[in-house]
Amino acid sequence: MKNINPRVLLAMFIIPLGMILAFVPANTTHPYKLSPEDLLEYVNSGMQFFTPDEVAHMLVSKDPSLVLIDVRAETEYEKYHLPGAINIPFTSLLDDQWKDYVNQDLRYNVFYSNGTVNANQAWMLTRQLGYENNYVLQGGLNYWVESIMNPDKPGSTSPNEEIAKYDFRKGAGQALGGGAMIESSAQVAPDLPKIAPRPKKKKVQGGC
Amino acid sequence: MGPLIVSDIITQNTNFFLAFLIGIGFGFVLESSGFSSSRKLAGMFYGYDTVVLKVFFTAAIVAMLGLLFMSLFNWIDLDMVYVNPTYLWSTIVGGIIMGAGFIVGGFCPGTSFCAAAIGKIDALFFIGGIFLGIFIFTEAYPLLEGFYKGSFRGTPTLPEALGLKDGVVVLGIIIVALGMFWAGEWAEKKFPRKEY
Repeated sequence: MKNINPRVLLAMFIIPLGMILAFVPANTTHPYKLSPEDLLEYVNSGMQFFTPDEVAHMLVSKDPSLVLIDVRAETEYEKYHLPGAINIPFTSLLDDQWKDYVNQDLRYNVFYSNGTVNANQAWMLTRQLGYENNYVLQGGLNYWVESIMNPDKPGSTSPNEEIAKYDFRKGAGQALGGGAMIESSAQVAPDLPKIAPRPKKKKVQGGC
Repeated sequence: MGPLIVSDIITQNTNFFLAFLIGIGFGFVLESSGFSSSRKLAGMFYGYDTVVLKVFFTAAIVAMLGLLFMSLFNWIDLDMVYVNPTYLWSTIVGGIIMGAGFIVGGFCPGTSFCAAAIGKIDALFFIGGIFLGIFIFTEAYPLLEGFYKGSFRGTPTLPEALGLKDGVVVLGIIIVALGMFWAGEWAEKKFPRKEY
C-alpha cells in the first residue's frame, strides 16, 4: 500500500461508491412533512387566505405574480371562472403535469372552488408536501360573487372606508366582468410561461 | 430529516454558528494546502501545478456522493436542497470576469482572504479590488438589472438535462474527474517548474 499512487487509491474508493449509486434506484420518498401541530397553527392564523379584495386588486392591476387556480371540475371551469385562472381539477391536483404549477417559488398561487372546502384541501395537501406560495381565496367563488361582483351598497352614514371599499369593489367588479356575470374576453386562461420546477429554499451561498 | 435549517431542526442562528465553524475549517484547509499562494493557483493555467483542479473536483465528488447516499438513507430530502437558479448570460459573463480576475490577480475570492490572513500585501490589494467591483456593480445595478435577471432558465441540473438518473451522472463525473486528474499529473510532468 505504501507506494500506491494517491489517484489510484482515490479511484479505488470513489468508483465503487459511484457504481452503487448508479445501480440503486433513486430515493423518491419525501421525508419532509409538515407536522400536524404546525399545520394547525397555520390554519388558525388564517395566513393561507387571500381576501377577494386582495385578489381583485391584483387582477385589476394585472399583477403578474398572481396565479388563480380553479380546483373545480373542468365543466364548471368552462362555464365560469375568474379572469386568467387556470384549471387544475382537485382530483388531479397531484398529477405530475401540475407539479411545476403547485410547487414553485415565483408566484402566488390562489386556489379557489365554489365554497372553500376543496380549495382548502388543495392548500393542505400541497402545504403538507412542503410546497410554498399556495393560498386560498377566502370564501371561494360564492363570496367573490357576493362581495366583488354584486357588492352591497353601504348606507349613506357609513364611514368613508366602507364607501371607498364599495367603490373599489364596484369598479373592480365591472372591470372583471361583473354585474350579470357576463364572460368577458379576458377570461381565457393564457399560456403561462414556464416556471421553475424546483422550490427555492433558504439560500446557501457557495463559491470558493 | 435534513436539510436541518429548512426542516426547522436548527434555528437560523445555530445555522450561522455552524457556518462560522465550517468557514474557519475551510479557510484553515485552504491555507494549509497552499491555496494562499498565487503561484500555486496560477499553476493551474500553466500546467505546472493542478492541485486546484484536483481539490475542487474531489470536493464536488465528495459532496455528490455524500448527498446521494444521505438521500438514500432518508437523511436528507434532495427536493428541499437549494439549487442555485440559472440566469444564463449573466452567469457566462460573470464567469468570464471572475476567470479574468483570477488570472490577473492570482487569487479567487476565498483564497484572497486566506492569503490576507497570513499577511500577504497583494491579497489586500485583491480584496480592495473585490470591494471596488461590488461598489461599481451596486451603483450600476439599475442599468444592469435587465441583463442580470434575464435569460432565466429555472434550476436545471445535469441529470434533468441529460435525462439520466442522479447516480449515473455521478459515476460519469467520477470517471471524468479521474481522467482529469490523470491529465493534470501528465501536465505537471510535462511543464515542470523548479521553484514557485
